Parts: sequence; structure tokens; C-alpha cells
Amino acid sequence: MFFLLTFDWSWLLLSVLVGFAMGWIAVVQRGRVVSKRMARWLALVAVALVVIAVGRLIPGRPGYWLELALLMVAMYIVGCALGSWLREWVLSHTAPAS
Amino acid sequence: MHGFFKWSGKWWPGVIPLAMVWAFAAWVSTPQMEANLAARTTSTLNGTVLDKTRIEVAGRDITFAADAFSDEGRRSAVAAVEAVAGVRRVNDETRLVPEAKPFVWSAERDVARVTLSGNAPLPASKGKLLEAARASLNGVEVVDQMSLSRGAPPRFDNAVLLLVDQIGKLKDGKIAVSDTNVTLSGMARDLGGREAIAAALKNLPEGFSVAENDIKAPPYVFQAYKDPVTMSLTLSGYVPDNNVHVAIAAAAERKFFGAKVVDNLKASIGAPPKFLKAVVPALAALSRLSTGTLVVSDREVRISGDALYDAAVPQIRASLAKDTPEGWQVKAELSVKPAAAPVDPGVCQQLFSELLSKGKIRFEPGRASIDPDSAGLLDRLIEIAMRCPTANIDVAGHTDADGEDAFNQALSEKRAKAVTDYLVNAGLPPDRFTALGYGSSQPVASNDTDEGKAQNRRIEFLVR
Repeated sequence: MFFLLTFDWSWLLLSVLVGFAMGWIAVVQRGRVVSKRMARWLALVAVALVVIAVGRLIPGRPGYWLELALLMVAMYIVGCALGSWLREWVLSHTAPAS
Repeated sequence: MHGFFKWSGKWWPGVIPLAMVWAFAAWVSTPQMEANLAARTTSTLNGTVLDKTRIEVAGRDITFAADAFSDEGRRSAVAAVEAVAGVRRVNDETRLVPEAKPFVWSAERDVARVTLSGNAPLPASKGKLLEAARASLNGVEVVDQMSLSRGAPPRFDNAVLLLVDQIGKLKDGKIAVSDTNVTLSGMARDLGGREAIAAALKNLPEGFSVAENDIKAPPYVFQAYKDPVTMSLTLSGYVPDNNVHVAIAAAAERKFFGAKVVDNLKASIGAPPKFLKAVVPALAALSRLSTGTLVVSDREVRISGDALYDAAVPQIRASLAKDTPEGWQVKAELSVKPAAAPVDPGVCQQLFSELLSKGKIRFEPGRASIDPDSAGLLDRLIEIAMRCPTANIDVAGHTDADGEDAFNQALSEKRAKAVTDYLVNAGLPPDRFTALGYGSSQPVASNDTDEGKAQNRRIEFLVR
């Protein structure tokens, strides 16, 4: 894990930035929302993939690509959370009192 | 927290650019990752003793194949690869090199190259052997057909290095090791090579033994050529040592009276037994030929040439057969020189005097037995006597003044008689020769000095 973080740091940083941008936008966006049911399914899939990755069940290059994908998704979510939180914070401090 | 969940429901559109970034990252970083892991794995394995090492990287997984020389070495190499940072899985395809039973090794030399084949215990020993072979063969092509195997006997490297050194001493042949038994066959390059190899084999490491040593020595050749035109005797080839050299040179001087001896002999070990005892009678036979060649090769004496008269041929053959040591072979190809043109008795006398001024008929001290070294001279005298068949010849014996007159008189008569008997045995009519003894009554030099005495002890041929 530590090796992947150091070796692929640039791609992970890019994932954080993509996530940050998405999180920044998401606060004010009026688009479709993922349903709770869907979110649960996605979480389940994520857990399954993590289990597969940790269990080293997929060999060779696909195994590496799965690890890379999971790490990038994790970094993306961190970026999203940071972006959304910061946007919310900015909005709450700059919005005119009504 | 509620807000967090609310926003997270709207994060999904970013997954699309994220997927694109991921695809690009996978495309770019996978070869980099694989190259990085391969390089670090290879450097980790530096210093381990393995053969046929193969490292294949797919993503973060490594397929590691190698031949190891011990189970411990195999396990530690796999552990080292597993410990490389970033490696996820190791597909262990290592194995132990096969064990050879018996553990065989050989070096074979032919005209063009030396081929090393069989088993070697470790890559390092294989390298050492090749290096040693190239060093000792000095430019000869060395072909490596050795394969690595386990099961070498202790001190194998030392034994084989010693044997590789011996390959340089062979012209062709094979040196093989099977477990601890060494077998050698072939032909040594130089005289003495066989003995040098046998001596080196005594230093084989403990446990190794010579099962069979069939190295042959190159022929040990001694040659002599008698040339009547230049009146020379050319000696070439080998003699075992300086003492034998001196003995042969002295024998040549005695037997080939008046001839110039060209001595090109070289000393070398490897002579067959009783070399000198075979060469001296062969030189005696050559001395009786008008022109001839003597080749002594190993235990074979080959002599060819022209005898001076018919009766000499069986005599020469008989004395060669009698005097050549047991175990030696004699091949004599003898013919008879065409008879020289007859001459007047006066010319005969001149020829006798000329010849006897160059060489003297020798006898055993105080006795009337002719020294065998004088056979060549007597044959020449016989040849001259045959050229003047009508002349009657007095064979006169003389002694020095030492001893009693009566003894000297009798001795001179007996010696003159011995010479006439020799002439008659050669086929000359007995009535042509008269044996006369003069004791010390007709000195030609002073009897006060050894040199003068030697001149006074003589046989003269006088044509009547």
C-alpha cells in the first residue's frame, strides 16, 4: 500500500483534485442524486472489490489495475468530501443574511 | 453529516473523468512499475548462486524461475524476491539443478579445438575451468558443453583444474572424470609430455585416483645418416641425457673413422629402455655401409643402405640381431654397392696406405681380437682388396716396445693372422694374403712416448 502511494502519487493526487472539483460543484448542483438503494449496492460492490484486492485474487496486470482503481476512487472520495465541505463552509460564511 | 450524505449523492458524475484518468494512469504506470520491480529484483538476486534465472513481471506479480544448487539457496532466493518492496505475489518456478550420478566431466582435444563437457558443480567453477583452459591452451578454441549439476565429489574443482592444465600437454586425446576416477587417453604433444602428465597426476587431490592412464608418447626418434660424398655422419633426433649423448658421440667417432660428425642431437626424456644398447650396435651396422640411413623410432631400429660387398650383408644382419636388446625390432633393408672398377696393384697400395693413415685397425689390449669398432675400416680395406684381384698382399703386424720381444713378436703375428682371417671370411681367396709379424722391430715413431707407441702399434697392408 505504502509502495503504491509513493509510486503512483501523481495519479492519486490527480484523483484528489478531480474529486475536489466534483465536491465543490456538487454543493450547488441540481442534478440527479444516487438513490440510497443504489448507494448501498455501490458500497457492496466496493467492499467486494476491496476484498478481492486485499485477497490478491486477481493476478498480473489486472490485479494492479484494480488496486490502482480502488486507491484512486478512495482519493476521489476524499477529494469530493474536502471540496464539498470547503464549498459549504465558504457559502455559509459569505451568504447574505436573510 | 446529513449534508455530507446529501452531497455524496451528487458526486457520481466525477467518476467519468476519474475513469479516464485511471485508464491513462494504468496505461502509463504499468510498464514503469514492471521495469522498476524487475530492476530491483534483479539487483536483489546479485550475489546469489543461481543458474538460468528468469524474472517476468506482470503488474506487481513476479514469475521467478531459476535453477538453484541447494534447497537452502533456493528458499532464500525466493524469500529475497518476496521481500522486494512493491512485489505483490511471487510465482515460484525455481527448482534444484538435477543431481548427476555418476558425476562425469571430460575434456577432449582434437586438432582444432578443446571441448569441455559433462557436469560442473557451480557457475563459478565452470567459469574458472573455461578460464584455466583458455590460459593453458593459449589460443586454441575452447568449446563449452558443460552443464551444471549437483553431486560433485569434494575437491572436484581442484582436481579438474589440475587436469585442465594437462590438456595443453596433449596433441590429441581425452581426459575424463567419473566421480573420483580419472581416465586419460591420447597422444602427448612433446617428448616427455607423457611423463610430465604422469608426474602431475600425483598431485591429484585426496580421494581422486587414476583409473586408467593410456597417454602415449610421440615416437622417440634418433636418426643417423652416413654420406660418403661429404664423408660425414649426421646425427639428429633425441637422446635421453648428456651421458648417453657423450657415449653416442664417442661411439660415432670410433666407428666412423675420419668422418665428420655433425651432431644435431637434443636431450629429452621419454626414451625407450636400453636406448643406448640399441643405438650403439645400430651405429656399428651403419658404419659398415657405404651410404646409409639409420632411424631408431621407439623400440624399432630401421637401417637401410648399401653394404660394401656381398658377405657383409648377412654379417651386418647377424650382428644387429645378436646385439640389439630384447624387445626391440630390427628392420634392415640392405643392398650391396656395385663393385668399383678394378685398379692396378700400385693404386691398391696407395688406397690401402691412404685409408690406414686415416684409421687404424684396433685390437683388444694385449690380445689379438679385433675391436668391433674397426669393422667399418676393415670393410673398406676388403673393398680395396677386391679391386685388385691379382695382387698378393702382405698383412704386417707391429707392436710397440713395451713387454718382452717374444711376446710382442707372437702378438704381432696373431694380430696379422686375425686380420687375414677376417679378409678370408669376407670371401677373399686365402692364398692372396700372407700374415707377417714384426714385433717391435720396425718402429715408425719413438717408443718413449704414449703417442709414439700408439703409432708403432699398427697393421700395414703391403702389395707385392
